[in-house]
Amino acid sequence: MNKTMQRVTAAIFCLFIGGLGLLHLLLPDRTFSPVENRNLAQFPAFSWSALRDGSYTAAIETYLEDQFPFRDKWIGLKTRYEYLLGRREFNDVYLCGDTLISKVYDDSRADKNLQYIQQLVEKTDLPVYLGLIPTAAEIWRDKLPEGAPSYDQAAYIEAAKDTGAIYVDMLGALSAHSGESIFYRTDHHWTSLGAYYGYTSLMEALGAEAEPLGEGETVSRDFYGTLYSTSGVHWLQPDTIERYISGEGVTVEDVYNEETHGLYVDSFLSEKDKYSSFMGGNNPLYIIRNPDAATDKTLLVVRDSYSDSLAPFLTQYYSEIHLLDLRYYRTSVADYAAGNNIDEIFVCYSVENLIRDADAVFLGQ
Amino acid sequence: MVFSGLPFLFFYLVVTLLIYKLTPLKLRNLVLLIASLFFYGWGEPVYIVIMFLSIAVDYTHGMLVERWRADDRKARMAVASSVFFNLLILVTFKYYDFLAGSLNALTGWSIPLLGVSMPIGISFYTFQTMSYTIDVYRQDAPVQRNIVTFGTFVTIFPQLIAGPIIQYKSVADQLQCRREDLEKFVSGVRRFCVGLAKKVLLANAIGKLWDVFLAADTAELTVLGGWLGLIAYAFQIYFDFSGYSDMAIGLGRMFGFEFIENFNYPYISRSVVEFWKRWHISLTNWFREYVYFPLGGNRVSRPKWIRNILIVWLLTGIWHGAGWNFLLWGLYYALWMLAERLFLGKRLEKLPAALRHIYTLAVVLVGWGLFAIEDMGQLGGYLAVCFGGGSLADAFTLYQLWSYLPLLVILAFAATPAAGKLFRKLPERVQGAITPLLVLASLVLCTASLVDASYNPFLYFRF
Repeated sequence: MNKTMQRVTAAIFCLFIGGLGLLHLLLPDRTFSPVENRNLAQFPAFSWSALRDGSYTAAIETYLEDQFPFRDKWIGLKTRYEYLLGRREFNDVYLCGDTLISKVYDDSRADKNLQYIQQLVEKTDLPVYLGLIPTAAEIWRDKLPEGAPSYDQAAYIEAAKDTGAIYVDMLGALSAHSGESIFYRTDHHWTSLGAYYGYTSLMEALGAEAEPLGEGETVSRDFYGTLYSTSGVHWLQPDTIERYISGEGVTVEDVYNEETHGLYVDSFLSEKDKYSSFMGGNNPLYIIRNPDAATDKTLLVVRDSYSDSLAPFLTQYYSEIHLLDLRYYRTSVADYAAGNNIDEIFVCYSVENLIRDADAVFLGQ
Repeated sequence: MVFSGLPFLFFYLVVTLLIYKLTPLKLRNLVLLIASLFFYGWGEPVYIVIMFLSIAVDYTHGMLVERWRADDRKARMAVASSVFFNLLILVTFKYYDFLAGSLNALTGWSIPLLGVSMPIGISFYTFQTMSYTIDVYRQDAPVQRNIVTFGTFVTIFPQLIAGPIIQYKSVADQLQCRREDLEKFVSGVRRFCVGLAKKVLLANAIGKLWDVFLAADTAELTVLGGWLGLIAYAFQIYFDFSGYSDMAIGLGRMFGFEFIENFNYPYISRSVVEFWKRWHISLTNWFREYVYFPLGGNRVSRPKWIRNILIVWLLTGIWHGAGWNFLLWGLYYALWMLAERLFLGKRLEKLPAALRHIYTLAVVLVGWGLFAIEDMGQLGGYLAVCFGGGSLADAFTLYQLWSYLPLLVILAFAATPAAGKLFRKLPERVQGAITPLLVLASLVLCTASLVDASYNPFLYFRF
């Protein structure tokens, strides 16, 4: 190697490590990472005891990593490198063509949580409807990498029929439309279209007529969901978010925050977490009222976040809907229903969430 | 601090190189000593005391050996005392709890355990300092009267925590005076980048595959999965360890040192004996020079020679970790060594090269099983599956195989000298032109991987 190339090599090495190190010192620190959805480490405060037990230097290392220049870009690059090496699984997310699908694991809570639902059926006099939403890993099983392990959600849904609850055939409704965009490509939730098919299956179980889908409105064209964040796969096209229900005349009471707003909270559309524009994100209890609904019945939905995009369709039928999230509103479901003039109870979870939910115990109390 | 980490790469190395190169030659050992103490103290703030103690004690013993040179009995006492001190540190921190625990389990006593964490690199630097007094006694190297220079030898950060194990005599001259120029610096940069890529891009990536099979219930393991896991581990430990050695050798060159090679493509070996001439060379050399030869090596009666082999390999095994499986691993190799030297070797030579490769790799892979699985029950179950105690393959194993196949092909290629040969066949000008590009590519991809390793999305929104 001649002198020039030696100089070039030495210069590249020194400039790379020195330059990035210097840039790290010069660039301002960030407090929050929207992509990772967490606070980033800040420079730690010094103490002798922290120095002695090694936690001070460890905290400095975490700080240097968290605040590394162009952090998100490096992560995207690493994922691309692994992709080139043939990897299709990133942090428990499968990359299937242009679609990200969350890997679903078996969980020891799965059977116990079905028992809690059975206890609820036995405890209350009200009709209990059970809608288990299969996730993309089940409906789009044929898209998963060959032989990729995936939990058998259909078998779980079959087992759920023994709880005595009135079965809502979400699996059938979604399977019949598996060729359509019923799940987001970068997020684990179902799309508004998917939620509509979920709604039709509930109407069918009720023996009621489902309203036609109607004309949709696209409210966002740059939605990067949770799977975009977890996988580090940053080169996919963003999702679009549609609304099919205008929500006119509908009010949503956020009981915990003591405020009332419409069906949608548009401010979330300008943030990373755009799915929260339905209802306004995870909150213990929403009460939705629609004076123009087809019936004057009241529905209690015991639910996860999939119901945020389902509820708009339900407002066409029910004049009042209580959306209860047991992770935050830890109370006996039967007692709540008895005390709030509820006509029907709808237990509605995605399989992925129900099989590992730690708060389903309140269903049975 | 580890070499393959953002704090080391972008801060520690930058500052240390800068100060070192700006310092006049006479003071460079002092800079290196201070920087190395900082390096060690960063990860082990309390155990830095052991470093100071090691420097002081071994320095003194070297001087004592020199002073008592005329009186061999006294000089030997000094050597013994130095060896005793180093082994005392090593045994206290590395083996005490294992010994006491095993004794308790055997006898029902309840000797209290220390429960202290092991200081990083203790197995490496105690072996290096032991070599010092022995080399001085044997007059393989002169005594070191300058305590800064001696301190630099003990603490020098490139090989402090993961080798190669430097014998004092091989660096005695370099500590006084070493050539530092652009050519050497650049060769150090190249070597460092190769090592970094081996560790970060190859070892870490294949490590995930081994984790999959190690975590699997042995009842669900398949034959193919068992072997795939062992192959993954074999690649992981080779690219991890040899990557560290490459980084150490590269860093050494950046500071003007020339350390011995530690690996020489071990997986192309055609016998177990050859494997150990190519694997962790500095450790094998150490045991040969300071244990095997003093015991008489192979110039003794056959029973004594067998005893010597057993001693060296049991020590080699237990050096790798305080656990029964490491002792078993050492014994395993002792038996293969004896078998090859006594009768197997001659028969092997008659076999085609491909079969000898397969034989060697099979022995080494099973060896890695003993090495990696510390739980004896799990070890038995795992190896039983490998040798037919399970179904041949299932969809899960095939899925893992397909998703790691491109990486496995790259690893197999990188474990042979082929890549280096190909590179050297290129015209000189082309070599020169692509070297900076390769260095840059290694740095960029490794940085991306290191940042990604700290990627930690918070998943409350999973619900």
